[in-house]
Amino acid sequence: MASELNAKVKRWPGWVLLVFVIAGFLAVGATRSTGPASQDDRVDAIARRVACPICDGESVFESQNNASQAIRNQVQQLVADNDLSDAEIVAFIETRYGAQVLLVPKASGFDALVWVLPAVAFACGVAALVVVFRRWKREAGGMREPTDDDRALVEAALLAQLDEPDTGR
Amino acid sequence: MLAAASANSALGRAGLLLMLAASVFGAIAVLYGIRRKDARLLKQGPVYAFLALGGIVLAVVMMQRALVTRDFSMAYIQQVGSADTPLLYNIAAMWSALEGSILLWALMLGVFTAAVAWRFRDRTDDVLVGWALIVMFVISAFFAMLSFGPADPFGAGAAGVTSGPGPNPLLQNHILVLFHPPILYLGYVGFSVPFAFAMAALITGRLGEGWLMETRRWALFAWAFLTIGILLGGWWSYEVLGWSGVWAWDPVENASFLPWLTGTAYIHSVLVQERRGMLRVWNLSLLVATFALTILGTFLTRSGVLNSVHAFGDGPVGTWLLVFFGLIVVVSLGLIAWRGDRLRSPGSIDSPLSREGAFLANNVLFTVWAFIILLGTLFPLLVEALQNRQTLVGAPYFDRLSQPIGLVLLFLMGVAPVLPWRKASTELLRNRLFWPAWCGAGALVVAVLVGADGWAPLVAFGLAGFAAGSAGRQLALATRRQGWRGLVGRANGGMIVHIGVIIIAVALASSNSFTHSATLELNQGEVVEWGGHSFELVSVDERTNDRQSRVAANVILDGGSTYRPAITTYLNMGADIGTPSVRTGLTEDVYLTLNQGAAPGDTTVTLRVFIKPMILWLWLGGAIMAVGTLLAAFPGSRRRVAIDPVSAPIAVDGPPSGSGADADADADQVDVDVDDVGTRNEAPV
Repeated sequence: MASELNAKVKRWPGWVLLVFVIAGFLAVGATRSTGPASQDDRVDAIARRVACPICDGESVFESQNNASQAIRNQVQQLVADNDLSDAEIVAFIETRYGAQVLLVPKASGFDALVWVLPAVAFACGVAALVVVFRRWKREAGGMREPTDDDRALVEAALLAQLDEPDTGR
Repeated sequence: MLAAASANSALGRAGLLLMLAASVFGAIAVLYGIRRKDARLLKQGPVYAFLALGGIVLAVVMMQRALVTRDFSMAYIQQVGSADTPLLYNIAAMWSALEGSILLWALMLGVFTAAVAWRFRDRTDDVLVGWALIVMFVISAFFAMLSFGPADPFGAGAAGVTSGPGPNPLLQNHILVLFHPPILYLGYVGFSVPFAFAMAALITGRLGEGWLMETRRWALFAWAFLTIGILLGGWWSYEVLGWSGVWAWDPVENASFLPWLTGTAYIHSVLVQERRGMLRVWNLSLLVATFALTILGTFLTRSGVLNSVHAFGDGPVGTWLLVFFGLIVVVSLGLIAWRGDRLRSPGSIDSPLSREGAFLANNVLFTVWAFIILLGTLFPLLVEALQNRQTLVGAPYFDRLSQPIGLVLLFLMGVAPVLPWRKASTELLRNRLFWPAWCGAGALVVAVLVGADGWAPLVAFGLAGFAAGSAGRQLALATRRQGWRGLVGRANGGMIVHIGVIIIAVALASSNSFTHSATLELNQGEVVEWGGHSFELVSVDERTNDRQSRVAANVILDGGSTYRPAITTYLNMGADIGTPSVRTGLTEDVYLTLNQGAAPGDTTVTLRVFIKPMILWLWLGGAIMAVGTLLAAFPGSRRRVAIDPVSAPIAVDGPPSGSGADADADADQVDVDVDDVGTRNEAPV
């Protein structure tokens, strides 16, 4: 029977095999590297983190104007020199143009709030779920399984109704 | 000419005035009718709605006439019109600036109010319908007032002007500008219908599931239009802006994404209320949030408080919108608090490991996500107000925080569809999740074999496979049992929507992780190889008409067709706009842009090349989502009697086991729609 086979396959060996396959392929795929990122890819990644100094909220990566072009060229030069890491290049750009060109807010001072509040919101959401489920469980716990007394009560009521058919509907 | 000019302006204003008057008097008439229980007066409600629609249609027609006939006596035409813009972009020019967008918004409101009036024309004596109409009339009156007063599109312009610059050049070179804003607005404004019914339910105290059932399809269609509108915006950005991206987390984009998030949470959690009569306050709050966020989004982007490429500059309109937003929030929350005692619902959710539990988890995630987007969008304002300095919260921030939420949502999409209502056992999960989990493993294996690397995308692909497996399982079981009917109805159509979402998630994960780009110097006649493709410059030419001049490089890609990335100069604006040229493929796009400074006759050009995988699937996934929503809106089969006791005890506590258990477990799994149950749990008024 197909369904019997289906049920057999779904016992624990199938799941163990699944775990091994996932762990194995994930380990292989995540740790291997298909070669270092090209210079252009690095420049793009950095350019996405820097805002165009003269336009409204666009990154240097998107923006096509000369100011952005200048920053992009500078980043390109720094990447080509290959002395600095991505973070160091961004820090260098910050010292040149000021903190307002950073598109990723810092995790210090007042700006840290923009990172902390999401975590707080998430924690609140999860806590709220825990609280309501606890409450629901307590409420449901208040309703016990029917005891023999309960059953007897219902039976008596039903019998009473049978005896007096007129009181029905 | 002058006579015609004043006719456009005068008739347009008359139309707006008609909408304003019809909305105000409609609201008063229906209110009076409800107070006096006057059926005759209530019957007139729809007439006012049709009058208001007539008014706004007249105003829009006049605006279009002014645009098409280039009526430069109007200030708005001087701003967005031009003598040589083609007809198509001239029509779209209406929504290329503030006043016209408000007009478009008012048009959508007129359409939706009239549609509600028409749909419920036989039930005008129902107070729920009456109050819903009143709420729609009030919203219509507000926007008609906005358009008639502070955002007047029909104002007279400076004398003697005979030409204008035309719309922003970016809004003149792709057909999508004709569709993206109206469809997005259909979504925005569409949510005013469920909102109006929610308010009506609060006011009348009929807080059962009646109003939910009435507005289920309205909410679904609004959500679908919002989805399509957002995706069309991404498509436009990709085809026009030349930075090869679809989504920049720009404040305006966020403003459209926020109601989408709360709306998505709503269309899920509403199922818990329909099924179990629970979460009433929560659903009302989500609906209020969705509608209020559309108004807040409009305020943020139309008032000039946030800098954005889409922002239209400042004016008194912003203040009005902010006041309206505040009013919506205060009135709705006040009503919810007032009706608090009736909103308390009996019953409880038995186990977190149930369909209800999964919907709640979904809601927490979507709400937190919406909070993050709102926080990131408003944070620069907050910093400026409190510390008087400039900061930016840009795409990398949103990307970083959205990624984990997206992954958890994918996981949830895998688990939730197999969960039964009330309570699931581990045995049942082991049974039902087996093949979906292997689908996930399969997707992971395929991804690794085709060369994907990195934790995040691989986890995304695996979870996407898992979620697709669950959706596919539901559809397979449903179609096996019901034939083609297994594809319609809420649960099954919903699974098709899920498949569309999964495809989009995969497309986003791959295009975000595996895009490569290079800057190539091309010399005429020389073939350059990069990234597995060959590029050859044939020539650089220039094509000029009386509107624009376009310098394009003719590049042969892979020895086949010629692609023409270009720089377009709009003669009366002087702006140089890069126009990308894209070869779209099933697995990857090749996206070419020409660097500034190219001139006709050049033998060397600098080309920016992006290779972006899977982009096409973003749009295909969107199409599947649209189809799925349509199927979900179809009434499903009604095998189960609608008055199924919803609070019946769990029949089998112990896990089913043995060979027959699988089939049994599946049998109670396929959901049956309980459409049109009407006033099943309606509380007495």
